[in-house]
Amino acid sequence: MRRGSLIQLTAIALVAGAITTAVALAVPWLPVDAGQEASRIQFVFWFVTAICIGVFSVVVAVLVYSVWKFRAGPDDDSDGPPVHGHTGIEIAWTAVPAVLVTAISIVSAIVLAQNGDAGSNPLVIKVTAQQFAWSFTYPDGKTYGSLTIPKGRHTKLDITANDVIHSFWVPQLSQKQDAVPGQHNFLVVTPTRTGTFPVICTELCGLGHSLMRSHVTILSAAEFVKWQKGGGQAAAGPPGLSVYRQNGCGGCHTFRPAGSNGKIGPDLDNLKQFAAQAHRGPLTAFIKESIAKPAAYLQPGYPNVMPPTYGAQIPADKLAQLVQYLAGGSR
Amino acid sequence: MTDHHDHHDDAPLAPSGLRRLTAPGWLRVLWVTPIFFGIGIGLPVLIRWLAAWHPIWKGSVLVTVELVTTPIGFLVGIGGFDYWAHYASGRATRAEDHSGHGARSWRDYFRVNTDHKVIGIQYVVTTIIFFCIGGLFAMLFRAELAQPGDQYFNPQTYNVLVSNHAALMIFLFVIPAFAGLGNYVIPLMIGAADMAFPRLNALSFWLLPIAGVMLLTGMVVPGGGPSAGWTCYAPLCSHQPLGQVFFNMGVQWAGASSIMTALNFLVTIITMRAPGMTFWRMPLLVWANFTTSMLVVIATPFIAGSQFFVMFDRVLHTNFFEHGGGGYVLGYQHIFWFYSHPAVYIMMLPGFGIISEVIAVMSRKPIFGYRLMALSLMAILVLGFSVWAHHMFVAGMAGWLRVPMMVTSMVIAVPTGIKIFSWLATMWEGRIRFSTPMLFALGFLSMFVIGGLSGIYLASVPIDIHASDTYFIVAHIHYVLFGGSVFTIFCGIYYWFPKMTGRMYDERLGKLHFWLTFVGFNLTFFPMHYIGLQGMPRRVADYAGRFADINLFISIASFGLGASTLVFLYNMIRSWAHGPLAAGNPWRAMTLEWQVSSPPPIFNFDELPQVVGNPYEYGVPGARHAIFGAPVPEPVATE
Repeated sequence: MRRGSLIQLTAIALVAGAITTAVALAVPWLPVDAGQEASRIQFVFWFVTAICIGVFSVVVAVLVYSVWKFRAGPDDDSDGPPVHGHTGIEIAWTAVPAVLVTAISIVSAIVLAQNGDAGSNPLVIKVTAQQFAWSFTYPDGKTYGSLTIPKGRHTKLDITANDVIHSFWVPQLSQKQDAVPGQHNFLVVTPTRTGTFPVICTELCGLGHSLMRSHVTILSAAEFVKWQKGGGQAAAGPPGLSVYRQNGCGGCHTFRPAGSNGKIGPDLDNLKQFAAQAHRGPLTAFIKESIAKPAAYLQPGYPNVMPPTYGAQIPADKLAQLVQYLAGGSR
Repeated sequence: MTDHHDHHDDAPLAPSGLRRLTAPGWLRVLWVTPIFFGIGIGLPVLIRWLAAWHPIWKGSVLVTVELVTTPIGFLVGIGGFDYWAHYASGRATRAEDHSGHGARSWRDYFRVNTDHKVIGIQYVVTTIIFFCIGGLFAMLFRAELAQPGDQYFNPQTYNVLVSNHAALMIFLFVIPAFAGLGNYVIPLMIGAADMAFPRLNALSFWLLPIAGVMLLTGMVVPGGGPSAGWTCYAPLCSHQPLGQVFFNMGVQWAGASSIMTALNFLVTIITMRAPGMTFWRMPLLVWANFTTSMLVVIATPFIAGSQFFVMFDRVLHTNFFEHGGGGYVLGYQHIFWFYSHPAVYIMMLPGFGIISEVIAVMSRKPIFGYRLMALSLMAILVLGFSVWAHHMFVAGMAGWLRVPMMVTSMVIAVPTGIKIFSWLATMWEGRIRFSTPMLFALGFLSMFVIGGLSGIYLASVPIDIHASDTYFIVAHIHYVLFGGSVFTIFCGIYYWFPKMTGRMYDERLGKLHFWLTFVGFNLTFFPMHYIGLQGMPRRVADYAGRFADINLFISIASFGLGASTLVFLYNMIRSWAHGPLAAGNPWRAMTLEWQVSSPPPIFNFDELPQVVGNPYEYGVPGARHAIFGAPVPEPVATE
């Protein structure tokens, strides 16, 4: 290769590298890192990005240079030089990528090990996923529909599912873990920022999948103690509302008093009218049956997709609160 | 160089009267298929009645049996089994009159035909139709995604569209489109008169429309279509509406077609090479299909198993993947990905072969590092079986499996890198012609590098934990399977269009198609990296409001990308009918398919070629790949 072409090639590679670097830095590719694990994952991300920018620039430089310099004229019927290979170059482009991916593997494996370390005294919270709601149970036995965790302490989530596979993800904490029926999977998060962030189900779990959302509130250590002593923030409103929220009813149903607007199941604002059409006893009995045995009567136009598990899973007193709440709020 | 339609005047007389009803063809389909439909109903009903099982009419059982018997009825009617049935019955064998071999009129493309060139065209045209349908589905759900909230489709319909977009593109487009191109080109490239098993070849094509019609029917059956994604993870997919059974069985028919073709390729490549065509003289497209076929034969039975088991869980109440019955939920994913990861290479390696042909010919240079190119295909074949669980880094599988699977996934970048660098070195100091196939080859190179590099991110377990199941994955797979596979399929179709049709496509429209596709593709899929990393999960009809603007942009770009296909279709249809006649070797290529007329004679070679050198000796004075009409030497074992 002539010296001139080497200089031109290097120049193209530098320009390509500069443009790619600018794109990498100018766009906010990653969410804020609200946990130690997220910060480590983001470090791996930028480590890989640096290597990839290098590889990409070299490939683009050769490609652009070839397109620019080696274009055959319209009447040019000649062939190129019959070069069949070059053992040295071939060894080099086998060895260099092998070294690079080995480096990425080592960094990734170290970060993976660190991100799985929950220390000696983690806060253990049971996470249960079901169509289409999350519930979070604390060591004191209390269960909530959203997650509250302290900053600066390892929290170990013990994740399982009741029906199908779901997946727990908080983009700002970066950690993700599938919730699998019959299996307990663990995930460690160690928050470094206070704030409220979304909890997203990322594994297709049925018709309400895109509405299977909750949120995580990260409190300072002192505020978290206060929150726990107060028994959690008592939900404003009637007791049935918290049952409604904990069980994710709003994922599928519209119910104006609860502010939910799901469209998969019937609109619960019209329960009185439905009960009158159904002829299945008084309003409260109809609501109770519809929760415990959803298939017993289907509102016309809606598929039989409601999980039949709520009857067994909601304690009798809570179920009564929920039924009262729904009966009272409907028209 | 004549139009092949009036090339052969030895066509047999059309049968008449009752013979028309019993001869293989669409008339026989019309009366045989209902008989098999009846058997599919009668058999389960009879058994259930005799055994006193209630209800005697059970929808899910009847549908499952029907999805086996009705297609068999269709195949019997169209004539897929005629020769074997005749042979098995012990009657005197009929002399082969070649009436079912080769196309004498357009009607021959709608029959069971044993000519690999006819079958190749049947494959390519059929798969393009499914490509258009799958693309329309994508545009429908992009319309829904243009705004957050529910606009046009309820979640059920949305999920059905997403699931079938992927299923059609994978099982009815990319995999069989490569099988079609390979079918047309491989026998010609190795100097054979046809495939090793022409009747099996015909049968494997006719399984394909069955699979496609089954997947499409499943979308509209009462109860609802399959809506658990193309991966249809258990246990969700065991509790889907009836359409799921159509999906389970449709995949079986497509898989059976795939396995038959792969066996045929393997036997053809191993046993039917022309004299002198050693393995180290085979064109890289043949190498690529050789390795791909091994992947297909070994891996495809696993997806068949996964779909059967999950269907049995539903229909027979087995508990393969039902936790409540003692099943192993993650077992489904292990079995599924043991096929579906190698399937990524099934959808990629034939494209690598096409790119090798086109880059060498258009750059007028030998392939740089030919042997390493062939060996890297073999390396991908072997490594491809050791990386499946990188799809399961967040699934909750055995923890120790994550790091080894990460390492093998990383290592597979090495043989892939070798191929990229070797193509670049092949172009270096070449005399490059920027014809449409070469543009698609360059488009492939650049886009596949991006897809490969985003694959490195995903191979790294910590990054994958963040990015898994988000739009980053959607972006990655489209850079690999659109920027990779679809670009190479377009590249191959343009490259062999003159050979297959005997006519030249319109070069200006071809270039227009490339640029529209290239720009539309990047505008559609590049922003998905960003929204995925920022927190948008895949497979959702509704999403957070902050992603609204960028999703609207993606949707508009995707409509442009879809519209670019119209240019392709117009060019193909018009050029096939009215394009200028093509010469036998318009690209001045050395491989054997270009040394015969366009389209080739009905048995490919009037004279047996004698291979005397390597296939890419551009620029080597006096080099020949093959000579024709030489005295055929005694067959000797070659290296």
